[in-house]
Amino acid sequence: MKGNLQKALLAAALIAALVSMPRLFSMDYYLHIFVMSEIYAVLALSLSLLVGFTGQVSMGHAAFYGMGAYTSAILSIRLGLSFWVTFWVAGIFAGLAAFIIGKLVLRLRGHVLAITTAFFGVLVAVVMNNWIPVTNGPMGITGIPRPSPFSFLGLNIVLESRTDYYFLGLVFVAGVLYFLWRIENSRIGDAMIAVRENEELAASIGIDTMKSKVLAFTIAGALAGLAGAFYAHYILFISPVTFTINESINILVMVIFGGMSTLFGPVLGAICLTVLPELLRMAGELRLVIYGVALVFFIIKMPMGVWGTFRDRLINYRKKMTPHRGPGGRLPF
Amino acid sequence: MVTVFFQQVLNGIILGCIYALIALGLSLIFGILEIANFAHGEFYMIGAFMALFSISALKAPFIVALLIAMAGMGILAAVIERAVFRPIVGKPLINSMLLSFGLSTALANLALFFFKADPRKITSGLARYRFSFHGLFVTGERLTILALSIILVALLAWFIQYTRTGKAMRAAAQDRVAAQLAGINIRRIYSITFAIGGALAAAAGTMVGAMFFVNPEMGFTVVLKSFVIVIMGGFGKIKGVIIAAILIGLVESLGGGFISYAYKDAYPFLLLMLLFIFKPEGITGGDKS
Repeated sequence: MKGNLQKALLAAALIAALVSMPRLFSMDYYLHIFVMSEIYAVLALSLSLLVGFTGQVSMGHAAFYGMGAYTSAILSIRLGLSFWVTFWVAGIFAGLAAFIIGKLVLRLRGHVLAITTAFFGVLVAVVMNNWIPVTNGPMGITGIPRPSPFSFLGLNIVLESRTDYYFLGLVFVAGVLYFLWRIENSRIGDAMIAVRENEELAASIGIDTMKSKVLAFTIAGALAGLAGAFYAHYILFISPVTFTINESINILVMVIFGGMSTLFGPVLGAICLTVLPELLRMAGELRLVIYGVALVFFIIKMPMGVWGTFRDRLINYRKKMTPHRGPGGRLPF
Repeated sequence: MVTVFFQQVLNGIILGCIYALIALGLSLIFGILEIANFAHGEFYMIGAFMALFSISALKAPFIVALLIAMAGMGILAAVIERAVFRPIVGKPLINSMLLSFGLSTALANLALFFFKADPRKITSGLARYRFSFHGLFVTGERLTILALSIILVALLAWFIQYTRTGKAMRAAAQDRVAAQLAGINIRRIYSITFAIGGALAAAAGTMVGAMFFVNPEMGFTVVLKSFVIVIMGGFGKIKGVIIAAILIGLVESLGGGFISYAYKDAYPFLLLMLLFIFKPEGITGGDKS
């Protein structure tokens, strides 16, 4: 009971903190960073289902993010559809693309899979740059409309300021967290973990490993597509430079940074890796050099991610501190 | 039309030979250290700059500049292996990928900071010799490049097949632990592998720099294409990699010339997809060796 009360208090404090954020940091610049953190949180979470949970490395995740952004932008401009429609269409389209690509490439494993998905990302970027009648090429798409106002349960929802987007983003992240939490605590999630741990063994006990992998790939792609639609109608301008392989790697680093197989890790990674590069702005031209070197150091020193390394240290520390209880003495976590 | 076709075929073969040099190094590093080295493109770029400066500052002839670049980049690659890659050998693949990607970003942007983005050309002094054969044009420069890349590939094949170190490398690629049990100094093999990979990439960079341009961002698309070549050819198979490299060179040259130049970076990927669908066992097929 005491544990539950603690959890409830912690959750209440977290919600209170999240809701009061825009009041504490009311500058547009900070709010923009918050909203981008939310978008990256969704992207990192979606990729963590594939990389952390199912154990399949994709280096082309930004392709689905971009597909969602372009689908939503083009539909809302050309057909005048509302964001609340195009948002879902973007997710479905990106998910469908992920399903087809997944069917093709998920037979591959390890490095070959990672490199093939990277190349898929490059292919999508090439199409965005050159299919000018549809994508407007390197010039990008301007004049994307904001989400139209609508009323929901008597509340009039209008998206005008960054604060509005921040709250919509919170709902979005919470929805994705809940969805993934449900998946990961279901039999589908168990099958995915089995595939990650040992694919042959999973197959031998009757798990359709290919189906699990394609499902994870499809869900990850669809969620990235939704994030893309949100991004397009927040920034109101999209161009191919946003959806390059660098972005795919960036998302992958967020997943690793926070620690892979928890839901908390990717969110932490997304926030840290959205805020930290902002601090590097003063470094100017050398910014990406510092980023690269930091990445190298990070991988060598903390292969488990920040959260994982921290947790391991804590476990070791507690082991040292607690008196020996003989064999079988289990740790509280 | 026919002449244009053969001209593109010739260009494709030359391009393919250069790709083979990069892809073979990549394949060796992958086979022996199990690392997908995204920074290989930067080895190629730095090698090209070394040759560029050897010519502009030291007034070295093209061949000497090429050798300087190969030696310089070979040593640098061995140092990088020791400092950066050694700690993560045997760790999960995602670590080595992100590590090499970080290294690639750092090196490319460092080069951008010092050398700026404007493209420069390596002047070999051999471009003024022109040969024509039934309407086909080829410069002395391109002929030299073709000959040099064939010689380098042959040397590598000989080295791996017949020398003691080459045999040790093959043993390490087959089974790291068994190779160590047989008394092979595995760390020395790691350094040598990176040195060879770096030297070959530098040679390729110098050649591309002479034919086209040198700039700090030249590495990344090349490294992705080389990965495609390595996957198509089969990991660690020299013959397969060479065939795949020439195939990619031809597809790029012919596709860029006859179908659409804008989509030329997409062709290798489409080719790879077709291969996965119709011939999943790779070009040369058969067992892994």
